[in-house]
Amino acid sequence: MNTFSVLAKKELSQTIREFKIIWLPLVFMLIGATQPIMMYYLPSILKMLGGLDGITIDPSMTQVSGAEVMASTIDAQFNQLGTIILVVALMGVIQSEKANGMLSFILTRPVSTLSFVWSKVVSQFVFLALCLSVGFLTSYGYAALLFSTVPWGELLLSMLSYFVWLLFVVSFVVMVSTIFNGQGIIALIGIAFLFFCTVTAGLHPILAMFSPAGMSLQSVYLLSTGTFDPKIGWNLLVSVLWIGVTIGVTYFWIAKKKFQK
Amino acid sequence: MRLEISDITKTFKTKKAVNQFSMTIEKGECVGLIGPNGAGKSTLIQIIADILEADQGEIRLDGKPIATMKREIGYLPQYPNFYQWMTAAETLFFMGELSGLTKHELKRDIPDILTRVGLAGEEDSKVGTFSGGMKQRLGIAQALLHKPSFVLMDEPVSALDPIGRREVLNLIQAIKEETTVLFSTHILNDAEEICERFVVIKSGEKIEDTTKNGLLNRNRDVAIQMMIGTGNNSWWEHVKQLPYVQKVNVFGNKAQIYVNNIELDKNKLLGEALQHHIDIRNFEVGGTETIEEIFLDLVVGV
Repeated sequence: MNTFSVLAKKELSQTIREFKIIWLPLVFMLIGATQPIMMYYLPSILKMLGGLDGITIDPSMTQVSGAEVMASTIDAQFNQLGTIILVVALMGVIQSEKANGMLSFILTRPVSTLSFVWSKVVSQFVFLALCLSVGFLTSYGYAALLFSTVPWGELLLSMLSYFVWLLFVVSFVVMVSTIFNGQGIIALIGIAFLFFCTVTAGLHPILAMFSPAGMSLQSVYLLSTGTFDPKIGWNLLVSVLWIGVTIGVTYFWIAKKKFQK
Repeated sequence: MRLEISDITKTFKTKKAVNQFSMTIEKGECVGLIGPNGAGKSTLIQIIADILEADQGEIRLDGKPIATMKREIGYLPQYPNFYQWMTAAETLFFMGELSGLTKHELKRDIPDILTRVGLAGEEDSKVGTFSGGMKQRLGIAQALLHKPSFVLMDEPVSALDPIGRREVLNLIQAIKEETTVLFSTHILNDAEEICERFVVIKSGEKIEDTTKNGLLNRNRDVAIQMMIGTGNNSWWEHVKQLPYVQKVNVFGNKAQIYVNNIELDKNKLLGEALQHHIDIRNFEVGGTETIEEIFLDLVVGV
């Protein structure tokens, strides 16, 4: 068995032993369900709180489609609470191996730096993509139940494009986790930078062009309008470049043994 | 496996941890790297294990760069640490697979190696519940599991109790038959017991590279060690007056007596003692210093 699969297998058994495989999908299920349920009950909540001479709600405003509900799930839940949870789940991925000395230990074995970095990024990405899929499907289910069904193709494509952003999230946090030694600072940098990417990408089209969050925006765009924005090719290219750079930095940092104190 | 260390220098910020260190270890040799705390032993060992990058110099194993020879190295860090959630057997399985052993070989060898390091019966215990000494044993097991031809150990026995220390020393004794061994220690007796060759390191520099006998002979300071029964203390005063005696250091009923010519004068002194009916308990010609003292002289005195 080659070292990549040995290391990836170890990552998988770790998620099982640490019960990540149970709580993380549950959390995303919860996040996925929140938005459709909230949107469904929002009119009645507003009606109750609105009183007699409050604001009048135009009933047509609340006639949203299932796809729009899913778009706002991504926008208001996955991109916010979801990102925080992803960073927290990922922050120790290399940091803890540095702290307990296993990283140096593993590298005294005939293990290439590349297979070490890849095993981390790939196994975490696959696992988190599964967790997010659970969230997407929950949101899809509630949207279909309470609003209208979303076409399967749209769901699938929006998930795929969101996963490109997820891959960036994973490779970015892995990089930060390699460079810094404190969990607090890793979480802070991870969350701050990823929020910065999402917010700036939504602010201005030029900024969106260079933001790694372009693909998560595309996912929202697809669900709200039914098609991808024509700039998707460019967004994909930029995202791949960002992923390449972060993995490259991680590789360099470990290969040059800069992780040693 | 022949290990060549040439001109290794490593600087941390402004502190030179290892300074132009060179040595060669021949196949089958067992070498003890000795030095006080902070001498640069661990840094040097980590550079040899390819965990740290040297600023300068290179390490070659059988003429090839060490980075390409990792399959042949067994490495034990000073504080071995493993995944808390793995059991002892799983840890060895994981490390063994990384070294390219097959499942079949691992299934066959793991119970055996656990027995050899004294962890039989702990296969399925979580590493998180292990004491420091047990982790050390597991560390030794993983270093030997893939039958490396070069074993590198950083303070293998310093953390162990006397029983564990004895077991590990016996284990090293057994593997050094077929393996090149380099280990660091600040406890000289350990090195003295299993190694033929010592390399003394101080402030990152090699200050001595010698064998046990070489070390003892080179610093041999020959004197007569004499011990007498109590009540004869005037005897020392008498000895001091003898023409061939240079110096007498008295410690109660024991003394070190330095004479002009050890070969001739020792018998004269003995004859003198017999004439005076001295109650001789011990009369010995030999070095005044133990290896421990020589070591102290080397690292403190220089």
